[in-house]
Amino acid sequence: MLRLVVRNLTKHKLRSLLTVGSLVVALFLLCILRTLVTTLEAGTQAAKSNRLWVQSAVSLFVDLPLAYEAKIDAVEGVEKTCKVQWFGAYYQNEDSFFGQFAVDGDTFLDIYPEVVIVAGSRAGFLANRIGCLVGKALAKKYKWEIGDRIPLIAALFQKDDGSAWDFELEGIYEVTEPVWDDRTFFFHWDYFEKTMEATTTGQPDVGTFVVQTRQGADQVPVMAAIDQLFEHGPQRVQSTTEADFQAQFVSMMGNIPFFVAAIGGGVLLAIFLACVNTMIMAAREQTRDIGIMKALGFTDRSMFRLLTLQSMTLCVTGGLLGIGLALLAEPWIAHGMGSFFPGFAITAGTRDLGIALTLGIGVLAGIVPAWQASRLRCVEALRSME
Amino acid sequence: MLVPFSYNLRSLFVRRASTLLTVFAIGATVAVVAGVLALQQGFALLYTESGREDLVVFLRPGSTNEGDSIFSRDRGLKLMKTVPEIAMDEGQQPLASLECYLAVRRFKMTGGETNVAIRGVQPMTFTLREGELEIVEGRNFQPGADEVIVGRKLVDRIQDCHIGDVIQLNTTPFKVVGVFATDASFDSEIWGDLDRMLQALKRYGPNRVLAKLVPGTDPEALAERLLSDREVPAKVLTEREYLSSQTKQLSKILVFLGAFLGVIMGIAAVFTATNTMLSALAARSHEIGILLATGFRPVPIFLSFMLEALLLGLLGGGVGILMTLPINGIETGAMNFNTFTEVAFAFRITPQVLVRAILFALTLGLLGGALPAWRAARLSPTEALRRT
Amino acid sequence: MIRVRGLSKSYQRGGETLTVLDGLNLEMEAGRFYALMGPSGSGKTTLLNLVGGLDRPDAGELFVAGEDLGKISGAILAQWRADNVGFVFQGFNLIPVLTALENVALPLTLTPLSRSERRAHALHALELVGMQDRAHHRPKQLSGGQEQRVAIARAVVTDPQIILADEPTGDLDRDSAGQVLDLLVQLHRDLDKTILMVTHDPHAAERAQSIVHLDKGQLGRIEDTPRALAAGD
Repeated sequence: MLRLVVRNLTKHKLRSLLTVGSLVVALFLLCILRTLVTTLEAGTQAAKSNRLWVQSAVSLFVDLPLAYEAKIDAVEGVEKTCKVQWFGAYYQNEDSFFGQFAVDGDTFLDIYPEVVIVAGSRAGFLANRIGCLVGKALAKKYKWEIGDRIPLIAALFQKDDGSAWDFELEGIYEVTEPVWDDRTFFFHWDYFEKTMEATTTGQPDVGTFVVQTRQGADQVPVMAAIDQLFEHGPQRVQSTTEADFQAQFVSMMGNIPFFVAAIGGGVLLAIFLACVNTMIMAAREQTRDIGIMKALGFTDRSMFRLLTLQSMTLCVTGGLLGIGLALLAEPWIAHGMGSFFPGFAITAGTRDLGIALTLGIGVLAGIVPAWQASRLRCVEALRSME
Repeated sequence: MLVPFSYNLRSLFVRRASTLLTVFAIGATVAVVAGVLALQQGFALLYTESGREDLVVFLRPGSTNEGDSIFSRDRGLKLMKTVPEIAMDEGQQPLASLECYLAVRRFKMTGGETNVAIRGVQPMTFTLREGELEIVEGRNFQPGADEVIVGRKLVDRIQDCHIGDVIQLNTTPFKVVGVFATDASFDSEIWGDLDRMLQALKRYGPNRVLAKLVPGTDPEALAERLLSDREVPAKVLTEREYLSSQTKQLSKILVFLGAFLGVIMGIAAVFTATNTMLSALAARSHEIGILLATGFRPVPIFLSFMLEALLLGLLGGGVGILMTLPINGIETGAMNFNTFTEVAFAFRITPQVLVRAILFALTLGLLGGALPAWRAARLSPTEALRRT
Repeated sequence: MIRVRGLSKSYQRGGETLTVLDGLNLEMEAGRFYALMGPSGSGKTTLLNLVGGLDRPDAGELFVAGEDLGKISGAILAQWRADNVGFVFQGFNLIPVLTALENVALPLTLTPLSRSERRAHALHALELVGMQDRAHHRPKQLSGGQEQRVAIARAVVTDPQIILADEPTGDLDRDSAGQVLDLLVQLHRDLDKTILMVTHDPHAAERAQSIVHLDKGQLGRIEDTPRALAAGD
């Protein structure tokens, strides 16, 4: 029986190839699309619950006074506080964009055990005032090595003479969880603060305080206490758990999951119709064969099985190839889309969904022609010429 | 001698199940691509169509949008008064206004957080915007009062945007007193008094100056002059230029997405069309043999098959457009990556979208028909007649 | 072996009812070779299809190999076909994607035989029809006469009691037709099968033992052929 399936499919090699080809393309596309959504959500799941983000309650573009640090540190349940400021400079030209943050280096590495230094060292980074830490993908992109001097041209935090900020690469990191992506640039808050103090802008403000709570401390009262501290200004703050913050960030992107679902639906519909088309053509050509087999004593059910199996074989081949292709292409896409979708990675869930869809299409596409074939009266089937 | 067109129509009709499936498969592909293009058009048109040529925007040199442009209040006022190209009203007041701008954290009705643009304006703004903006509910805010009006598109999407609600900005509560409607790009914004906003938000100064130019002024010459001006250096753009520069990121993403989906889904659709035309060829090789035997040349047979494939593509394009039409006008929200705020805009099926969709569909048909048509033209009459 | 009482069958054609068999009565003995003759539209093929269980009667009794075919259907009827009948068609009707051997072995997949047993049986059947050399050829690579011999091998491989042949020589030249008829006669003689062969060729019919004449859905007459008379059957 299986031999008959394979022979029938290879009889029309071109048609089978084209059908498999369109399935490859469709499943590839579906995997990539779904991965965009899961990647957006991945940050939410990786976020750790003992970290809080304290930011302005008004706007993501409003900073908080430096003096808040001491007050937050004094709150019951707070273990450590790390200042984080978006630096927003560029390297070489305006198109070479990547995220840069001024952070309290030592505290930052304590709070984020997920950030692991794989080249250079923590000690080297901490000892060098202008030292910086970059993600592995970023270092690879610009072919940076430990000890390299990296000048960045500031857009937001300009020196009075307009000169570039100098950095020295002291460490390359990888992340064990996508809490930060591996194309970010971190440097010392002290260097940032001291340099800014020398300019007419003066002492810089802080974009975000990342707070690590004490082991076992309940988050809710800590967040409430911090928010309460600055209830009457000068800048009100909003504390959120890291997971909530990430979720909000996804929500800010708008209806992306909806768009992706709509597009995916279109892809599925197109590919399903294409498969039904192929299976109907195949079944029509096999009408006489089906008549013969029925005359020989094969039952309606076994004919139904034959055609369904044929459809399944075709779809599963194409689908699995498509999923495999998506897995193979993953690093390339991750590289190309790094700045929009950091941490692009196909999850096991996406792969399994792809397999399930493949099987679903296979069964459904085969079912109509198979049912028709099984209902065929053999007297008529034998009379058909095709 | 060409093969009669009715022959193609009949052929599509005879295998109507296959034809329909193919048409819908192409249709779904065209619909997805057209949908993305309609989204891009809706977004781009919202910004560019509404941008006025007679208004100019003054930004701090080096900044690309209002968010990173900032003036001191005095610098802004000085600019308004000293630039001779700015038009005057009857009372010899410059037709110019200081505006501050900030993307503030707000909650959507559905629960998630988002960024909404808030704008502090001076009374002159309403003179400049004469006819562009209309209060459709409640009243305008009083100058100097802690009151705001909200764009109509926000009312049902963002929390606390109904009349009587209170919007807390840092420590100051602002009362919502009116709803305004406009076709321009600021219909997803919250507006209030400039000075009250600056104070409540603890801003250093306004973000831009909006002004009307004396008729006949060349904005480009003005821009060139002011960029290196020693007293009041500024980057000058017409409002239209400014707005279209604000759509670049998202437009680029959407156009890229449309092209990416078009190519990938197009491959699958071409394969489907090829399959269908191959089965048409198989079913008709006997007839082709007869045509060849009666003296038809291979070229008309090739053309006949291509025509049939194009027809298939055209039908698919039509179905695709029909599938997309219902989304025309539907509003959705997306993040404008330039301003980092969420803007509401509608899918817009413009003639450009239609033309592109049809061309795309025809291309799919053309590519799908090429191989089967070539095969048909190369059939030898005897071989074709032998096959049943 | 075959007992038919008041058998009727009609078809719907373009809104009109076409009565093909009209109260036919007929009896056929086991182990005999019958030729079924009659003008076009006399119901020959319809009768053959009914006897083979490919089609179902409208009315009447139809006992074949001890089973009332009017009373069974679906999977049971299919199984009955697999056990009791072998078909030989005018157009050979081999599955084009399978080799000669695979075509012959196909009906055996419905039996509990193992793969190697099926292969052995199929090879044996091919030997019976003298086609063992062509076992691995596809139908397209065979001549019409060879295809029909493979089809006959497929018909006998399950060792059915009855072989039904519908114009088996209709598409063949005279030499090939002769060989196929020789083969049928030989199988009838050696394997003791009941054979029912529809034909409109009097020479072919002469090779059978009895000729059944059908006309307008009614039984004409049954006559023994000179060959049968000479042999004293």
